[in-house]
This record gives sequence, structure tokens and C-alpha cells, in this order.
Amino acid sequence: MKKALSIGNALIAIAAGVLVLLGYLLPELLGTLRTLLVQWAVILAAFALLLGIINLVMVHGKRLTTPKASLNKLYSAVLLLSLILTILLVGIATPTSFWSVWLVSTFQVPVEASLLAVLAVVLVYSASRLLSRRLHWTSLLFLGTVVLVLLGMAPLLFIGEVPILSSLRQWLASVPALAGARGLLLGVALGAIATGLRILMGVDRPYGD
Amino acid sequence: MNLVFDNFNTILGFLLLALALGLTIFFIIRDRSRNLAGPNPLRLLRDISAFTRFRRAVGISVEAGQRLHISLGRGGINGLPGGATFIGLTMLNRCARAASISDCPPVATSGESLTAVLSQDTLRSVYADLGAERRYDPASGRLSGLTPLSYAAGVMPDIHDEHVTASILAGHFGSEVGLLVEAGERIHSLSVAGSDSLSAQAVLYAAAEEPLIGEELFAGGAYLGAGPAHIASLFMQDILRWIVVGVIALGAILKLVGVWP
Repeated sequence: MKKALSIGNALIAIAAGVLVLLGYLLPELLGTLRTLLVQWAVILAAFALLLGIINLVMVHGKRLTTPKASLNKLYSAVLLLSLILTILLVGIATPTSFWSVWLVSTFQVPVEASLLAVLAVVLVYSASRLLSRRLHWTSLLFLGTVVLVLLGMAPLLFIGEVPILSSLRQWLASVPALAGARGLLLGVALGAIATGLRILMGVDRPYGD
Repeated sequence: MNLVFDNFNTILGFLLLALALGLTIFFIIRDRSRNLAGPNPLRLLRDISAFTRFRRAVGISVEAGQRLHISLGRGGINGLPGGATFIGLTMLNRCARAASISDCPPVATSGESLTAVLSQDTLRSVYADLGAERRYDPASGRLSGLTPLSYAAGVMPDIHDEHVTASILAGHFGSEVGLLVEAGERIHSLSVAGSDSLSAQAVLYAAAEEPLIGEELFAGGAYLGAGPAHIASLFMQDILRWIVVGVIALGAILKLVGVWP
């Protein structure tokens, strides 16, 4: 029974994947079916969001009930309380109401902005540590390019804009950086094609056996 | 036929997919018939130090009873980030199998609800496959946050508090991945990280101990022993890459001599 169910799951997934793919290649023939299947996927994804919230409550609820005392318990309690209050507030006042927007702009945005500031510091620190971790000519090239681009981005203190730096930055961005980015993206695209084909062939089954 | 294939791009896309599929099947059959994969299929592949170190870290984590962390990013399965998410799920599968005998089962975090559900399903099916259903804990596949920075904020304490020996970050990330790598760095755990996004790759090159650049991320399944199809996919990618390089070079020459408009 379990085996049959597993084969059934795989057949449904492969058939849906092949139909959606062919829908892109043959839009006149299978375009409508592709749209329908993608719409179903969107509806399922919305239900997955509910499951995700249940998972979040479960993980933090479990953390709250562990006997070990830690600061994480407080964080989990704050998270669960915020979740309940947000659901209540947005549920009563509708998602586009003043209070819903206020909630996001007062709590979510400032906290994320502060994390973004921390990220900037982390990146500078990581770049400075790069040479000690990987002393290689590519690391030097990376850091050199970063410094050149930064210097060419804005007018320098007391000097103002240095035209040669600005032109160099522009050339770096439009020639070597663009070529490198396209090369990386081609590699990523080929990798994504390979991954997709393995799923369509039923070799990889991320939906479980 | 012309009515259906109404433009050049469609035909090209169709041919590319057919070629990719044909090559993958050819390499799977060839490797099976010649038993090329053999007992050590990794000898067929070039060395990527990130995976060598990660495999070692998996062994250490199992022996020391410590945890592995697999971050699947915040990409879903719809759209472009899907490829990176799927390869992350394959790596999760391999890590869960390798660490199934450990006292601390691996934990998977994601920033998208569908990916979180799939990570739970992957873990559940691995334990079911190994006949250890009771070891499966739904809380080991977690949704950590739904926006880039809330995801990072949700994962950082997990890396810190769960005494993680090694983290593999495979999926769709943005520059917030720097915070995750830094969290691992602070507890001296190994971070192997790759993403399909260019901004994340730039951050990872500077911040991660073992970054996976470009298509290296998609080789993860082959290097972690996910089977001959993954190795065949790598051969297929190599051939397609050379074809793309050839087409680009030819296009550049034609443009240079003025044949191409």
C-alpha cells in the first residue's frame, strides 16, 4: 500500500511538472492547463502558510515548556504573544487598516532596519577577515575591486569626485562584473535545469516517498 | 507545426531541454552499464574542498553527538529560486541519512512555508525509510521567518543555541546570508554556503568559510552521494556549458567580423 502510494505521488508530481513545462513551450495547446495547475499550486501554498504558522507556534511552544531556564524562553514568549496580538489586531481591523500599517511600520520596519545596519558592519568585518582566511590572488582581486567601486561611488572628502575613479567603476560594473555575473547566472541556470529534470524523471522526490 | 512553435526561442528552449534530458539519460545508462560509479563515485569528480570538509564535519558531528544545521533559504518552489530550494532539500536528505544515528538529529530552517513543509516531509521520509519513524521530530523542520531579515533573525539563535557543528546553507538567500554565516563563525562551526542569487554569492565569497560559487551549489547532491543521476547531471551540465561557451564565442566572432547584426 505504502509503495503504491509512493508511486502514485511520484506519477502525479511528474505529470503535473511535465504538463506545466510543456505549457510554457506550447502555450496555445497547453497554456490553459498550465495556468490552472499553477493556480492550484498557489492555493496549496496559501495552506502551507497556515501549516508554517502552526510549526512556528509548535517550535516556540516546545521551547517555552522545556525545563531549562534561558533567555530564549523570554524571546519565544514575546514571539508567541506578538503573533497572537498581530492576528487579533489585523483580523479585527483588516490588513490595510491604520492599525495594521502602524504595527508594521512601528515594530517590523525599525527592527529590520537595525538588522540591516548590523549586516553592513558584519560585511565590512568579513571582508577585512578574508585575507587571513584565504590568502589567494582572487581574494586580493575581490578586495581591490570592492575598494575601487566604493571609491568611485561617491565624492571623496575634501577632494570631491575623481573622474578616473568614476569611469573605472563604471567600466568595472559594465564589462568584467557583468561578464562574470552572466557566467555565474548561466551556471546557475544549467544547474537549475539539471535539478528540474531529475525531479521530472522521478529521481529526486522532494515531496517524500 | 509552425503554428505551435511560433518563435525561435521556443524551439531553442525545447531543443535545450531535449538535449539536457537525452544527455542525462545517456550518462545514467553509460555509468550503470560500465559500473563507472563503482564503490567510490567521487573519484569521477573534481575536488571541491567545501564538500570534502562538510563530509568530514558530518562524521565528527555524528561521533560527538552534535547537531547539523541545514538552511534552505527563503525561496519557494515556484519560480526561479525553486532549483536552489530543491537542491537544498536533496542535501537535507543526505545529511539526515548520514546523521540518523546521531543523538542530535539535524535541524532544517527555511524562510518560506512551503519549503518548511517540504523539509519536514523530507526528514519524515528519511526516518521512515530507515525504519526509525519514532526519531522524527516535526520541530526539526522549522519555519524561521517570512521576510529576509526576520528569517536571519530566526535562524541565528538556532545556530548559536543548538550547538551546531556544521551548517550547510543551500537555497535562495539575499545579502542577509552574511548574518547567518557570521552566527556560525561565532561558535566556530563550519559554514558551507551557496545560493542562486548573485548578491548572496558575493557576500558568501567574503564571509563564508567554504563558499559555493555558481553551479557548485547544484553539484551538492553528487558530492554528498545522492546517486548516479546526480553525477550524470554534472556530466550533462559540463557538455551544455561547453556548447554555451562555443555559441557565445561564435556569436562574438560573427559580430566582430560584421556578419551578425
